[in-house]
Amino acid sequence: MKLWYSFSKELKLSSKSWYFYLELVMAIVLLLVLLFVVPEEFNSKGKEYMYLDLPQVVQDNYRKNLLEDDEDEAVEYVELEAEDTLYPATLYETEESKVYLLESKIALDAITESERVPTVYVHVNDQNQIGFTYYLQGYETQKLQNLLGVFHNRLAGHDVIEAYSDQLEVRSLYQNSEPLNDRENILPVFLTFNGSLMSLFMIAAYIFLDKGEGIIKAYAVTASSVWHYLLSKIGVIITTSIFTTLIITIPIMGFQPNYPMMMLFLFTSGFFAAALGLLLTSFYDDIVQAFGAMYIVIVIMIMPNISYFTPSWDPDWVKIIPSYVMLQSFKDIISIGGNMTYVLVASAGFLALGIGLFVLATYRFKKTLSL
Amino acid sequence: MIKVKNLYHSYNKDDIYAVNDISFEIEKGEIFGFLGPSGAGKSTTQNILVGLLQLQQGQVEVAGYDVKHIKDKMFNKIGMSFEQSNVYSKMSGLENLEFYRKLFDVKTRDPKELIKLVGLEGKEHVKAGKYSKGMKHRLTFARSMINNPEMWFLDEPTTGLDPSIAAGIKDIIRQENQKGATVFLTTHNMYIADELCDRVAFVVDGKIRLIDSPKTLKLKYGEKLVDVEYIQDDQLIKDSFSTVEPAEKARLMEVIDHHDIQTMHTKEATLEEIFIKVTGRGLV
Repeated sequence: MKLWYSFSKELKLSSKSWYFYLELVMAIVLLLVLLFVVPEEFNSKGKEYMYLDLPQVVQDNYRKNLLEDDEDEAVEYVELEAEDTLYPATLYETEESKVYLLESKIALDAITESERVPTVYVHVNDQNQIGFTYYLQGYETQKLQNLLGVFHNRLAGHDVIEAYSDQLEVRSLYQNSEPLNDRENILPVFLTFNGSLMSLFMIAAYIFLDKGEGIIKAYAVTASSVWHYLLSKIGVIITTSIFTTLIITIPIMGFQPNYPMMMLFLFTSGFFAAALGLLLTSFYDDIVQAFGAMYIVIVIMIMPNISYFTPSWDPDWVKIIPSYVMLQSFKDIISIGGNMTYVLVASAGFLALGIGLFVLATYRFKKTLSL
Repeated sequence: MIKVKNLYHSYNKDDIYAVNDISFEIEKGEIFGFLGPSGAGKSTTQNILVGLLQLQQGQVEVAGYDVKHIKDKMFNKIGMSFEQSNVYSKMSGLENLEFYRKLFDVKTRDPKELIKLVGLEGKEHVKAGKYSKGMKHRLTFARSMINNPEMWFLDEPTTGLDPSIAAGIKDIIRQENQKGATVFLTTHNMYIADELCDRVAFVVDGKIRLIDSPKTLKLKYGEKLVDVEYIQDDQLIKDSFSTVEPAEKARLMEVIDHHDIQTMHTKEATLEEIFIKVTGRGLV
């Protein structure tokens, strides 16, 4: 009952604190960013600029092939600006790239200069063979240059390439679950940092406020335990993070996520993060003193983001950083067919770690009450 | 009510002790003053007694509980008023008291009654953050009474209060004491100690130098003289008379009988003077 009184009092106090509104505002800002800044699918199409200095028949044939690959099978006539001059061009938008066919070598040179992208000059040489001249920018890797060489000689080494391709094993990252679109794929990052890790910093802010006012000492000389006080703080933090998570998730994902599992994971990961925050704060008197330690924690927790967006970089040591597990768990929670066993195991792990940290933090707080 | 035996405390756990072999006992219903300058070890001792500091060495019993193995239940019998006001600034005075009363397992006092008692009536719904320093101090003081404590710890209870409010606080302490509360008063204000305490302990450099009642101390350390100003032959005469020597006493009686007395003071030492005499230290 005393725990409930403490929790309801903390809830009331936090509703009067600007930290609470800061969290809500941050959640709304993140939601707006996801809705209006992050597209559902990032446009990763490359742009190709070409000038076909070829006989009309060959040109027509090339254009016909491009038109067949065009997404809407319609040519778009555009003007490209380079060096303050407008150059007419025809645009073919295929599934993989946007191909701009320019109408003169002068236009190609101008685009090469201004756009700083590789361009291609296709022409017929003295032996009546089609030649490709690439205008590279100097930053292209040797691998890319080799690939261009292979591309134009692929028929000569067809057998070798095919044999090599047959030995390659291609595995999908989404073996059982449906892939998320680009906007949804960013959501776990926001949920991890706004939902779970913010708990670490928010609890530190609340505790240091109370330390400054000497509230903990006053609580310690009542017939209620210090752990009631600390747990009620954690309860408020978790409640807030559930609210902010729902603010971000529902408009983006609708009813797709496994919400019961999300609540469970928010509870356990939030408990872990808040208990870690408590332990950190028990060593310092104010937030300025604690900043160094918190900064280190931030840097460590950010590292798994690299692995999240670059799946090929996934060393074992990154996997033991809590935010890695949080990212993967949130991804599974919001995906159709996500791995709920992983989420359950992660939840159990965070709960166990959280309890350990909480016991330590309570011991530390009792020991340092009068400091 | 309190038994302290060979209490030591070192903040760095070395041989530099903030509290150095302190022993004393406080009887039920007593007002005990713990007096000393800043850094003498008063607050350290008090923090150990209420469990805010861990007991390192020695034996401490408070309200029947061994402080080595402190239990939450002990705090049902204890009240603590801090020198530094520590109330929830975003809650009103009344809300503060309403919250704290729920943290005890014993019958608690009506927060409104306490608000009235400390003179905060009319301000009970104002956020404590908007209170003046003195008002916050009174709220902290009121909070320490919420559970009708048997053992009441008061740390500088009148600091920062104007004289009339301080007088009110002293009256409340006396009333609660008469109702049965034992009081442990930590202060460097010798006048309050003199007015309120049954016994006082002088603490310097972590050691108790002396424990006795203010009255006994004054008798023991005060000079037994009376300073008198009287009119003789239209002249103002100043003189001192021993209250022990028979001849001096007779001469004093003669002055009283035959002359117009203007002023007359016993040369009773103040507690502060006795403190300086005993410890060789001032109280700042």
